[in-house]
Amino acid sequence: MATILQVHDVRKSYRMGKVVVPALRGVSFEVEEGEFLTIFGPSGSGKSTLLHLMGGLDRPDDGEILIDGSNILKLSDSKLAELRLNKIGFVFQFFNLLPRLTALRNVELPLAIAGISEKETLERGEKMLKFVGLEARENHRPYELSGGEQQRVAIARALISNPKIILADEPTGNLDTKTASEIVQLMRKLNEERKQTFVVVTHDPRVAQEAHRTVHLKDGLIETISENNLPTRKE
Amino acid sequence: MRVSKILEMAAANLKQRKLRTSLTTLGVIIGITTVIGIASLGEGFRFEIKQRMQSGFELNVLIVFPGSLTAGFGEPFTQPELDSIRNISNVNLATGMRTLASAEVYKENGTRIRALTVAGINFSEMQQMLPKRFIIAAGHFPSENDTNTIVLGYRAGTNNSIPVVDIGENVTISIKFQAHGTQFTHNETLTVAGILSEGGTAGITNFDYWAFISSKKAAEMSGGESYQIILVQVNDAQKASQTAREVENTFTNPYRVSVFVPSSFEQQVDNILSLLQIFLTAIGAISLLVAGIGIMNIMTVSVMERTREVGILKAIGAKSRTVLSMFLAEAITIGIIGGLIGIVTGYGVSYGLASMLSSFIQPQQQADTLFSTPGREPLSISPVFTPEWTIAAFVFAIIVCLIFGLYPARKAAKLDPVKALSYE
Repeated sequence: MATILQVHDVRKSYRMGKVVVPALRGVSFEVEEGEFLTIFGPSGSGKSTLLHLMGGLDRPDDGEILIDGSNILKLSDSKLAELRLNKIGFVFQFFNLLPRLTALRNVELPLAIAGISEKETLERGEKMLKFVGLEARENHRPYELSGGEQQRVAIARALISNPKIILADEPTGNLDTKTASEIVQLMRKLNEERKQTFVVVTHDPRVAQEAHRTVHLKDGLIETISENNLPTRKE
Repeated sequence: MRVSKILEMAAANLKQRKLRTSLTTLGVIIGITTVIGIASLGEGFRFEIKQRMQSGFELNVLIVFPGSLTAGFGEPFTQPELDSIRNISNVNLATGMRTLASAEVYKENGTRIRALTVAGINFSEMQQMLPKRFIIAAGHFPSENDTNTIVLGYRAGTNNSIPVVDIGENVTISIKFQAHGTQFTHNETLTVAGILSEGGTAGITNFDYWAFISSKKAAEMSGGESYQIILVQVNDAQKASQTAREVENTFTNPYRVSVFVPSSFEQQVDNILSLLQIFLTAIGAISLLVAGIGIMNIMTVSVMERTREVGILKAIGAKSRTVLSMFLAEAITIGIIGGLIGIVTGYGVSYGLASMLSSFIQPQQQADTLFSTPGREPLSISPVFTPEWTIAAFVFAIIVCLIFGLYPARKAAKLDPVKALSYE
C-alpha cells in the first residue's frame, strides 16, 4: 500500500498570553492509502492540533507534513485551500453545517466552491446523500435534523469531492452511544467499499479500536502505535 | 466559485436577516433619494431659469449705453458713432433710440397716460430688431415719413386689458426743461396710431411702459440728433460677446460705452446655478456616506457572528478570495437594491417637493411689475431627470457600498481557519 500522508517530527506550540504551550513535541507516523487510522488520547494530548495540521488548516512550527506528496509548509494559503478542497474531507465534532443551507446545499458546498456546474453538483449531491441514507431529508435545514443525521450530512459533504483522505475530529463526541456506533459503522463502510482513507481523532476507546491502527497520543508525543484486530463491521 | 453561486449565497444570507438588511438598505435608499432629488430639482430649476432668461432676453440683441457705471452716464451717441457700429461684420442691424427726458403724456381731458418713457425710434428697424416683442395689437405702425403720430406700449395704452385711448385720438406730450433758472414746458400734440401687444422685459427694460414717436419728431422736440440707446442685432448669437468687444473698440475712450450682452449674462447665471446644483448634490451625497458607514458597521458585526461559518468555508477549501467576494457580494447587493429603490423614490420625492415648492411660490406671482415676463406661467419647478445624474447616483451607491464593505470583508477573508472554527 502506498503512503498517502507523512508526518515527520512535527512540532507545534501555542501562545496563551505570555506562556508558550507545546501541543505537539515531535510526532512522526505515516498513513497508508485505504487505511482506517484512529488517533487516541485524552483531551489536551494534541490530537486535534495534529488533525488540523494533517488537513492543512494550520502549519507546523517545525517538521514536515506531506499530503499526497506535497509539503504543506511550502504551499501558499491559496494553494493550501485548493489542497483542502480537492484532497481532504473534514468531519467535525459539532458537525459544522451552514445553518441557512438545506442538507443538499450543504453537501454540495465543496463542489460549488470548486465551480462545478449546477447540474453535476446536483447529481453528485443527491447521490452522496442517498449513500449516507438521507435522500428523504435533502431539503431539511440542519436544525430540522437529529445529531446523527447532521453528522451524516457532514460526512456526505466531506466525501463529495472524492478526496483522498477524510479527517474526522471527534465525529461521535456529540452523539449518543447508539448513533455514535452507527456513524462509526458508516465510516467503516465507506472505508471498505470505497477504499477511502480515514483518520479519526477520538478519546473514546470503543471508537479507537474500530481501526486498522491506533496512534496513542499523550502530552504531544506518541506513546505507541497499536495494530488492532479489526472487529467485523456491523451492518 | 461561480459568480452566480456567490450572488445566490449573498442573497440567502441577506434574506436570513431581513430586518437588518432592510434597515441597512434604507440608509442607501435615503442617500440616493437625496442625491436624485436635489440633482433633479436643481436641474429643473436651472432649466426653468434658462427658459425664463431666454424668453426674457433677446439673445441676439446687444444693448449699448453711453458712459459706464463707474464713470457715470456719458454724452449720447452721435450718428457717426452709430454708423461705425453698423460697419462691424457680425452686426446685422443697429438702431438708435432717442429718449425724451421727463416727458409726460396726457389725454385731451387731462388724464395722464402711464407712459414712463417716451422714445423716438425708427419703427421699421425696431420691428426687425425685436420681431417677437415689437408687435402692434391695435391700430398700425406709422409710415416712414409720418412724424405726427404716437404708438403706446401695452401697459401705457391699456388698463386691465382695456385700451385707455382710441386709435386716432389726440394726446399731448409735455416736456419740462430748465433754462437760465426758469422752467419751460413744451407741448406737442400727436395722434395715437396704435397700441403694442404685451412684450415684457427685453434685456433690461420693459417697453410695455414706453411710448414711441418717430425719431425725427423726437429730434425736433429735444433739439438734438443724438441717441441715448443703441440696439444692435448680431447675425451669430454665439459670437455676441466678441461682437460686444468690437462695438467697444469703435470708441477710443473705453468709458464712453457700455454693452449689455444678454447671452453672456444668461451663461453666467447658468454657470452659477450649475455650481450651486453640484454643491447641493455633494451635500446630499454625504448622506450616502453615512449609509456607507452603516453598511460597514452592520457587516463588521455580521462577520463576527459568522466567524465560525468562515472557518467552515475555509476548512472545506474556500480561498480567502472566495470569502472576500462572498461578503462583498452582500455589500454590493445592498448597494444595487438600495440604489434602484432610491432612484424610484428620488423621482417620487422630487415630484412631490416640486409641486410643494410651486404652491409656495404661486401667491407671490404678480404680473404687473416692470420686470415681469408676460405670457408665462408663474414660476414652477418640475424636476428634470438626466440619465447622467441617475447613472452617477447609482454607480456612486455601489462604489460607496463596495468601499465600506471592503474592510469587514477583508477581515472575514483574513480569519485563521483553526481559530475561526473554535470561535463560539
